[in-house]
Amino acid sequence: MLPISLPSNRVARLLALLLAVALGPCAQAKQQSAQLPAAPPSPLAKQSAAASAAEADSDSEDHDNLSASARRIYDIGRPRLLQVRTLLRDQDSQASVGSGSLVGADGLILTNYHVVSQVALEPQRYRLNFQTVDGVSGALQLIAFDVVHDLALVRMAKPPADIAKRGLFEFRPASTTLAQGERIFSLGNPLDVGFVVVEGTYNGMVERSFLPQILFSGALNPGMSGGPVLDDKGHIVGVNVATRRDGQQISFLVPAEFAQALIARGAQARPITGNVEAEMARQLLVHQQQLTTRFIALPWRETKHAHYSVPVPQEDFMRCWGSSNSSDSKGLLFERSDCQMDTAIFINESLRTGDLAVRHEVYDGSKLGALRFAQEAGQSFRNEGMGRRTHDLTAPKCEEDFVENAGLPMRTVMCLRAYRHLPGLYDVAVLSQSVDAKTEGVQGRFDARGVSFANAMLLASHYLQGFAWKRSP
Amino acid sequence: METLALIETLDREGQPRQILRVSQWPVRIGRAIDSDVVIDDPHVAAHHATLEWHADGVRIVPAATINGVRLGRATIAPGSSPPLPASGLMTLGATTLRVRLASEVLAPEQRLVDLHLLQRRHATTLFVLIAVAAVWKGFDLWLSTVPGVQGSTLVWNYLSAPAALITWCVLWAIGSMIFQRRFAFWAHLRVALTWLLVAVLTQAVAGQLAFALSLPAIEKLGRLVFVGAIVTMLWRHLALLLPSRRRALAIAIGGAVAVGSGLLLIDRSVQQQPLVGDLYLGTISLPGLRVVKPVSADAFVKSAAPLEKTLSHWARPGDDDDDEESGGDDDE
Repeated sequence: MLPISLPSNRVARLLALLLAVALGPCAQAKQQSAQLPAAPPSPLAKQSAAASAAEADSDSEDHDNLSASARRIYDIGRPRLLQVRTLLRDQDSQASVGSGSLVGADGLILTNYHVVSQVALEPQRYRLNFQTVDGVSGALQLIAFDVVHDLALVRMAKPPADIAKRGLFEFRPASTTLAQGERIFSLGNPLDVGFVVVEGTYNGMVERSFLPQILFSGALNPGMSGGPVLDDKGHIVGVNVATRRDGQQISFLVPAEFAQALIARGAQARPITGNVEAEMARQLLVHQQQLTTRFIALPWRETKHAHYSVPVPQEDFMRCWGSSNSSDSKGLLFERSDCQMDTAIFINESLRTGDLAVRHEVYDGSKLGALRFAQEAGQSFRNEGMGRRTHDLTAPKCEEDFVENAGLPMRTVMCLRAYRHLPGLYDVAVLSQSVDAKTEGVQGRFDARGVSFANAMLLASHYLQGFAWKRSP
Repeated sequence: METLALIETLDREGQPRQILRVSQWPVRIGRAIDSDVVIDDPHVAAHHATLEWHADGVRIVPAATINGVRLGRATIAPGSSPPLPASGLMTLGATTLRVRLASEVLAPEQRLVDLHLLQRRHATTLFVLIAVAAVWKGFDLWLSTVPGVQGSTLVWNYLSAPAALITWCVLWAIGSMIFQRRFAFWAHLRVALTWLLVAVLTQAVAGQLAFALSLPAIEKLGRLVFVGAIVTMLWRHLALLLPSRRRALAIAIGGAVAVGSGLLLIDRSVQQQPLVGDLYLGTISLPGLRVVKPVSADAFVKSAAPLEKTLSHWARPGDDDDDEESGGDDDE
């Protein structure tokens, strides 16, 4: 259920195929829901909104203001829009592709961090290249990045001669806010099939997201990452970043203010040639500090259980899902709550970080008896994973004991892993199982990814103090 | 005539195959039919050795042969004629002879073991073992089954264990048949039951104790005992097949276990896993079993402080080089 970032990669060919299939109904749905009238409901409908919006509007006499604006926007964007390609160091084969927009007269380009992450992390294996809509290409250098908001600045090593004539994208002034329902236009090169303009709707900010993101109702596809999203004046309001694969046209944009902040501090920087990990760790440490501070400031929510108070987070920037098994089960009865953050920070293909998750299960084992309940609880306690082996993190190391808080004794395990390449960052998991009663209990788990050791301890302590035993009323 | 000695030709199991009474010295031994002791062994010469009477006792005088005469592992040097060893055993070619002298002091008579009583005692032990195993298996099944499971499923589950055990013991008994000429099913069943019960019960008790005292080390110790018991079981099975090789088998199995666990330890240490057992104690038991007092949340978190040093040491660059590309999902 996590958003999926959009670099089109080696499997682009396959993805394109799958998505083309998926997109047939999608494009039609879009026409219905956006109430775009009168595009002929033909099998060709899937082409209509995206690829051919700019040139294929022969039937638009009645609606020329809508389609004309898409054409106008594309005309504005066309000279300043680029594809950002990650190539293998010694070959011209592309490893992944994204999009970018020209924002500085010296050839400065705004894109996503995840579009350039391979080059940032492994410059000895990859290099960056750009290609404009009119086919001009050249090398790019990494200038600055904001890993938390998934933004990066790159600069053309040798800007083309006509760079001055191309003009720059401008940002929509922060003072003029968009209204929900306003039409905005996403530009980019999906799946490396060609540059497109996608009309969509601004739907405000994503709710309960720790990192602010714009909710864009429009079809984003892999390869469009890093492309600009423009208002009807052609000013950047956001940057394409992610989409939800379990929904339709639920897409996410990085708000322009973060891009402007990155440009303000990074535009004049020299190309990054060395190791980016220290700077990345610094940015992530700032993020985790804000996250920890905000999280700890929130009180735990009330739980309705007769005997247990369980730490359940406020849903300010987390989302909780509940489930339970059928009450006519003859075995263990349980209720489960699963809370997590929507935003995780992309580091590389295998590593997302910078988020929290809290879950618990309340057990009623009265149908089992004490011994079998203990057995079931132990089974559930034992099979908790503490993280797969990866290159990015060390193996977990745990501390365990009986812990009592507010009258509730628990068996508690805390496991930490350190980031191998991001010094000072840790993942922490706290697993706690009540051991006060013979046939009922609660098992809770708290996870924080990418926090400092001190904050890991702080969060663990905060979490454990959310447990309590309640006297029955 | 007075019998001065007996010369027994022994078979592979050490039982006399042919006995010759000696009434006069010397005695000639060889394959030729004019020998006093005729040995039909192609590795024995026509005239292989002579036993002679000297003032200090019987001496062995080997003839000039290819294979010579061995006393234990040592071959008698050409030209020498050593006295008969105390055991009276000597090997000519591939044949072992034992010489018993009339002058030997006999060992005292030994009391006969009451075989019937012994068998009854064995049968009682076996019965107790089977009963304990049956009860344990039933308890274990009951513990891990939620109510409402179909009865026939339970019966299948219950019977699968004795079926597997019987198959196991039958296979070993066939081994005994090959090496010992007897189908020692009950002996193997006893070995298997004894050590399986030791393994399973120790592990269960260790888990509960570890929970009660909050000492995960006890559970890890239980796992070691488990492995030890299983290895011992294998050794005992093999010892029933080759009783005369018990020591050698113990050394071989011990060596294999040492090498195997050494490699395993190195592997786990490279992968930064706990050397024995799981990442944490997975046993949850009855609330009343807990003996130790719980600590406060803050004290618990404080006790985790040393993890920082270990983990930052683990995260040092270079530590992950050896397991690049080997990352697997097998940990879950």
